[in-house]
Amino acid sequence: MEETRIGVYVCWCGTNIAKMVDVEDVAREAGKLPNVAIAKDYKYMCSDPGQDLIIKDIKEHNLDRIVVSACSPRIHELTFRKALENAGLNPYMFEMANIREHDSWVHTDRAEATAKAKALISGAINRVKWHESLEKRSVDVHPATLIIGGGISGISAALEIADSGKKVFLIEKTDALGGTAAKLDLTFPYMYSAQQMIQPKIKKTNNHEHVEVLYNSELKDLSGYIGNFEAEVNQNGKEIKIEFGNIIVATGLKSFDPSVIDNYGYGKFSNVVTSLEFEEMLLSGNILTKEGREPEHIAIIHCVGSRNQDFHEYCSRNCCMTALKYSNQISSALPNSNIYQAYADMRAFGKGCEELYTKTSRKNVIFLMFDQKKGMPTIKKASLKDNFEMLIEMDEKLSGESVEVPADLVILMVGVEKQEKAKEIGQTVGISLCGNSFYIEKHPKLDPVATTTDGVYVVGSCQSPKDIPDSISQANAAAARILATINKGSVTVEVTTAEVNEDMCCGCQTCISVCPYTAISFDEEKKVSIVNEVLCKGCGTCGSACPTGAIKSKHFTDQQILSQIEGLMFKSFELQEV
Amino acid sequence: MSFQPNIVAFLCNWCSYTGADLAGTSRLKYAANIRVIRVMCSGRVEPTFVLKAFQEGADGVLICGCHPGDCHYHEGNYKCLRRYHLLEKYIEQLGMDKKRIHLEWISASEGKQFAELADDFTKQITELGPCKVKEVMENIKE
Repeated sequence: MEETRIGVYVCWCGTNIAKMVDVEDVAREAGKLPNVAIAKDYKYMCSDPGQDLIIKDIKEHNLDRIVVSACSPRIHELTFRKALENAGLNPYMFEMANIREHDSWVHTDRAEATAKAKALISGAINRVKWHESLEKRSVDVHPATLIIGGGISGISAALEIADSGKKVFLIEKTDALGGTAAKLDLTFPYMYSAQQMIQPKIKKTNNHEHVEVLYNSELKDLSGYIGNFEAEVNQNGKEIKIEFGNIIVATGLKSFDPSVIDNYGYGKFSNVVTSLEFEEMLLSGNILTKEGREPEHIAIIHCVGSRNQDFHEYCSRNCCMTALKYSNQISSALPNSNIYQAYADMRAFGKGCEELYTKTSRKNVIFLMFDQKKGMPTIKKASLKDNFEMLIEMDEKLSGESVEVPADLVILMVGVEKQEKAKEIGQTVGISLCGNSFYIEKHPKLDPVATTTDGVYVVGSCQSPKDIPDSISQANAAAARILATINKGSVTVEVTTAEVNEDMCCGCQTCISVCPYTAISFDEEKKVSIVNEVLCKGCGTCGSACPTGAIKSKHFTDQQILSQIEGLMFKSFELQEV
Repeated sequence: MSFQPNIVAFLCNWCSYTGADLAGTSRLKYAANIRVIRVMCSGRVEPTFVLKAFQEGADGVLICGCHPGDCHYHEGNYKCLRRYHLLEKYIEQLGMDKKRIHLEWISASEGKQFAELADDFTKQITELGPCKVKEVMENIKE
């Protein structure tokens, strides 16, 4: 171990780390640790000059292992591994200490945060000493793709992939394609007809020689890994087995059910309808009350189930602009009607949206603001002598007055939420839900399309509420990513699998019983366990169950972790010394 | 200066480590006593790791994994849970308070929960006082 030469780099991350951690002191102290040949601090390690610094030092100072203490390894581990490769080192001779997300951002005492950074780096240095070179492994990619959900996102991705001549299996739970977008009349902000846009796409998907649409189908089971998945699909009670290399999850959204909000009387008043029900009305060509009358007063209530701690904290994104679209559609269809917009905040971001707001506000539309925190509007039945059906009572925020709004028809701008089966589908394909029950992307900024499971992508409103162009962008991005791997023909996969030392294996087969992937088998002749590296996903459960220590979890070996623990405790919490 | 415990936390890569990252990106604040070790799965956490941490001077050990049903590796967290119960017994037999170890499920979206857990566990260990394992071990050596 004496000859090991470690390079340690402490990142400032601008002021993100440097503000709370004395990075210069940390680098100085790290330089005193055994085997550390060089220790430096730098403003942005992930920048090109930062990486070049490492590459140059590796060559000049003959370094054989590198520690970068910066942000989370979930963000830049791969960046730095690549830098090592460029310098001719094995990329696994690298370890990151997370002194941003786990330190500078979460602590308030500079001395404490600096002491913690030292401990974390000392742990990483101790660990990297035991790192071993691992060789990259690549697997072939099956050229077919599975897409779950036939809404606008699923269809767009399917066509993008199929047009390049690659096979797509599109599974749809209903008997029709199009999803939510196919239920819309016009679209904001330019008033294009949704039907004119989506129907040709549906037709093309159905007739495409490379797309196999499986209607009334659900994903039952999934096995395999990137490049080589196998699924069991249930179609009308019939089991179908299909094979493919990548998966796109495009399961879309569900509308919020407003009947849980007493104030709005949905289900009680026949002329209180949801936005999707109003779309049906627009598609039919007639805006009428249930009694078949043309409404004189139409009220549109925003943020139903959205931006409210009692229901969903998030903004559903499409409702404000859809509500403005309604104002325009109603004022052209019923020019003499009175239109009221009861809104909590007008959110008009996105191309053409602020312009739509300006245009609508010049029309004969009355905008009334309410404060969700102080109480939502309440819909009541009007008295018999009134010549309108309902009365909406609300505290108007801007004027500070209590107002009453007459209404013959009320449109509730219902928010969006996760699909009913989002959790089950997520568990089947191996992706998780965020706090709002939308799928979590691999990285919220740097990789909003992939997921933590290689070969599984999320697109459209199952990842977060989206409008049509954003859904299509994300769908096409996923398609491009998948086509890239199909074209290459192979992908490199994690090599951090388990390995059996046959000399130490006692043949107890405990590992076989704990492996969730049946990746370990027993060699009857040698009486030892054997790991199938293709099936092994590197969870390490076998390693911790092995009574003799014969199974090694590569890159998470006992030696590496035990040594890291020692390093973490190198300097216990002696704040006085800082 | 008041007692500042050393706490080692083993976090699974997919849920809990990401949850702790989220606590960071959300700029939540918690006690600086917790030092995290990343493992791919809570199922990788060997009892030896926990004992080693105490031997090296930890006053408390935290293990976090994905919620039941959410494990990236299907069931590693259940294996962790089984081992944890045995570990609790073992630790008591060693004469230690089993409150020095704690297992919790933290999902990738539970940054807030992680920050609260870090504070609560730090408080709990502070109340228990310093762990004597390291001291005893060193005396034995002598």
